[in-house]
Amino acid sequence: MAGPLSKYSFINAKLRARISKILPDDRLHQMEKAPSLDAALALLRETPFAGLEETYSQTGDLKQAELELLKNEIELYRGIREHVHRDSVELVDALLLQFEVDNLKNAIRVYFDGKIRQRSADAGTHYILYDRIIHDIPVDIILNADNFDEIAGVCEGTPYSEIIRKYHHTVESEGSLFRMEIAFDHFYYNNLLSSIKKLDRRDHTIALRLTGVEIDLQNIDWIIRLRNFYALPLDAVLATIVPGGLSLNRAIIDELYAAQNVTSVLSGFVKSEYPGLSALLSAQTSDSTSRLLLIRRILEEIMKQEVQRILAGYPFTIGIVLSYFILKKNELRRIRTILNAKQYGTKTATD
Amino acid sequence: MFTTQMTQLFAVVLGKHCDRVTEALLSEGVMQFIRMSEFEGDRPDNLSTVKSQVSLTEISDLRRRIEGFLHAGGIIPSSPGQTDLNKRISVDVEKERSHLDKIAGERESVRERQRTIHQEMLKLEDLKRQVELYGMGLSDVTLPTRHSLISMQIGKLPVLNVKQLEDGLRGLPSLNIELGRENDMAHHLLISMRRDNEQVSSILAQAGWTRIELPGELRSVKKDVFKELSEKLKTLADEQKTLELKANDLVRKEEKHLKDVWVNLRVNELLHVIQTNFKSSSRTVIFTGWLPSSKKERLTEKIKKACEDLCYLEWNEAGSRDAVGDEVPVQFNNPKMLAPFQMLVSNFGIPQYGTIDPTPFVMPLYLSMFGLMFADVGQGLILTILGVLGAFLFGKNEGKKGLQRLSWLIIWCGSSSVVFGALFGSFFGTGLFEPLWFDFHGIISGHSSHSSVVNNVFDILSITIYFGISVIAIGLLFNWINLIRTGKWAELVFDKGGILGGWIYGGGVYIASYMIARNYKELPAGMTLFLLAGLPSLLLFIKEPYHYYEHRIEQSDKKSNVLLALPNFLMAWTVELLEIFSGYLSNTLSFMRVAGLGIAHVCLMISFFTLAGMTSGIGYVLILILGNILVIGLEGLTAGIQALRLSYYEFFTKFFHGTGKLYTPISLNYQL
Repeated sequence: MAGPLSKYSFINAKLRARISKILPDDRLHQMEKAPSLDAALALLRETPFAGLEETYSQTGDLKQAELELLKNEIELYRGIREHVHRDSVELVDALLLQFEVDNLKNAIRVYFDGKIRQRSADAGTHYILYDRIIHDIPVDIILNADNFDEIAGVCEGTPYSEIIRKYHHTVESEGSLFRMEIAFDHFYYNNLLSSIKKLDRRDHTIALRLTGVEIDLQNIDWIIRLRNFYALPLDAVLATIVPGGLSLNRAIIDELYAAQNVTSVLSGFVKSEYPGLSALLSAQTSDSTSRLLLIRRILEEIMKQEVQRILAGYPFTIGIVLSYFILKKNELRRIRTILNAKQYGTKTATD
Repeated sequence: MFTTQMTQLFAVVLGKHCDRVTEALLSEGVMQFIRMSEFEGDRPDNLSTVKSQVSLTEISDLRRRIEGFLHAGGIIPSSPGQTDLNKRISVDVEKERSHLDKIAGERESVRERQRTIHQEMLKLEDLKRQVELYGMGLSDVTLPTRHSLISMQIGKLPVLNVKQLEDGLRGLPSLNIELGRENDMAHHLLISMRRDNEQVSSILAQAGWTRIELPGELRSVKKDVFKELSEKLKTLADEQKTLELKANDLVRKEEKHLKDVWVNLRVNELLHVIQTNFKSSSRTVIFTGWLPSSKKERLTEKIKKACEDLCYLEWNEAGSRDAVGDEVPVQFNNPKMLAPFQMLVSNFGIPQYGTIDPTPFVMPLYLSMFGLMFADVGQGLILTILGVLGAFLFGKNEGKKGLQRLSWLIIWCGSSSVVFGALFGSFFGTGLFEPLWFDFHGIISGHSSHSSVVNNVFDILSITIYFGISVIAIGLLFNWINLIRTGKWAELVFDKGGILGGWIYGGGVYIASYMIARNYKELPAGMTLFLLAGLPSLLLFIKEPYHYYEHRIEQSDKKSNVLLALPNFLMAWTVELLEIFSGYLSNTLSFMRVAGLGIAHVCLMISFFTLAGMTSGIGYVLILILGNILVIGLEGLTAGIQALRLSYYEFFTKFFHGTGKLYTPISLNYQL
């Protein structure tokens, strides 16, 4: 059995070199201050994101540039997959699955908008990935399908077929895709957690911790969406949360809905493990959505601290791979947010 | 050797001369202003900020906006010059803003058109992909295959309704090809996506479409649909390219105007920034700041000229009681050739004002260590050539000054390798010529050196130890000079790097040399030992009680008990002694890495020669070439890093605190 040094020495050195190439905060702040989208994109020249400006100036289409960014992100995961030890390949594949799940969700949304809601959804078809990510999914047929049975049929042999079959009646009766989408998310995280279980003890602990924070963030996002856009009762919302979160379980979220001050609920883990975040807890929030957004911010800070802890600690663990993915994801998210804010003329703070 | 001497100016001028004085200050570009809020105690009351017609924020926003346009057009405006300052005009902010809005509007409409064309292209590509995927023989206009997602139909419609049909289909991915006309009816082939059938049917019905079989007389018109699609896509791509150029041309044709306005705004912005450091009363304006003493005469002349001699100027040397603020900015005072080494120093930190700037000493120190670790004439020449190429490549780019300096550092390092290579007689790892000093390669490979001084590996190690002792001694000497210049007398005596620390280190070096000379069998005499190490160690005991009493006097604390503090004194003394003994020992031995890496360098070359010796012909040459590339890349980098590490941690830590603040005057080149 390979030791941690032989497993991670190469990838550790490679990723640390790559981490040093992540856009510094200064550059992102400059982009935030840029007076226009063109000016913000011009700041990406001579960076690994120079292609974005090229695509935009050729097409005038920011979504097309974002699609290129997404393709690069997938390539990034594939590139790392080539270099990690075989014990970690399954985990990287599990992470790569997020892109496939998101792409499938997008394709089904386009089908759903066109076929069920009878809305023109052609624009959406152009920003979907048609190439294979992990499984063979005929996206073209999904977009042009006559019904969910056809979609489930063409997804046969993939884990998605069963989910589509299980939820399509609910989706059609409720006129909303959210239950199916949540089921896809549950599948993604369950698959991720089961690949984490196969790691050795040290890697397992680290991966579980980082994934736990990500699950918390995902749950918070869903809860905010479901509360604000679907006006679901609390019980129905809580039924959707993905298990495996690090800090937020059902009981805590239940409490957060009711409490006026998040300190009482979150102080247990924030004060003991992340004393630097105590200041955030003192914020008084008037409504539950603000509280959830505050928790989201706290969770993002926790994620940052976890990543910093990993980068400063023992280097030969799966932590370096996961930290790199998190840092890259954060970088790309910030770039996307800034560019969209510039496009639509809104202010942004991406920290 | 020391940082540039600085002087502080405190000036009072009449309000009516404020703008002219500001202009003179920007033109000279030598003042680093101190905000009036930094005044201590006797801060002047009833002073307000200097107001201007256009706010700094408005100017800055407009300047940044123009900069954004220029950058988007690939134009980088250069800093304003003296002529721009003299010939500046006031910018009509509102007018320029609306001008920019106009350009932005035009650009946005081009982008909008680009987006529309892009959408069109995406739709056609969607169709094309389907055609490619399912391989339909479209040239023969056959029916779609069962799995195809494409819907095809042939029909006729009144010629008058053709435009209506085209407009209706615009939002959908489709290809509408006219096959021919018969009287007032047009025959069309329409390809669309199956998912859009309902919408397409409705559009066709409105346009009076009648589905038909291909008329016999038109059957000969065999349209190659695939070719049609490709041509249409090519036309759109060409149009897209034209629009892309047009978007850039919109900025380029305004380039001169935008640059002119940018320069004017920049000058105005800098003038405003200077005035944000001013305070004004009803009739006067005051300001203060630092500048190099050598610039004092010229600035006095300029200010007096600007305010017709109606001003009050007070000059205070750094360190004088009347100077405002504690922190004096630091200006390096080195010739241009030392710029790469100044870069190494400033990466560590900025020296405190009035202390030694180590740059001139870093140059010989760094190069000696690099040369000892990487001594080879041939490989040094390669490094030098690489450095020259780098300097040539980055020399013209203002934004790559760091890389330019790094290239110069590589040139210096390469030259050092050449010199040391000549001293050790190494040329690409071969002894092509006689060494000027000793045969490093020969000693490592076990051959006898003909030098009377250096005959084995231990002699090489000794050289680096002596080198280390010298470096540490220079570091201590610099520390004493800095402490004397800043008047820190107690630290001069008691500090780890002070006189007592240096005494112990000197004693230790003597004792070690004495023992080595006697094969480690004899120590110096008791009294000598006491005088060299015992006495300074005992004297060091005074340090803690001295600080204790000093603290008591400062805090007027008469309650604390000396007897209770005694264990603390003993503990601090013991720790300090341990630190001094172990610290200096490890600092000195640390220099052995120089010899270690030099030996590794030779060993690597020997290994490659051995490997090459196992082959012949091209294999021999290839192994040696690859080996040299590896050694230059890997060893060059390692030697550079280790020389830097020794400079930073064994030399700088003895005297250099790096807590100074760099002198950054507001000039026309000032980066906002």
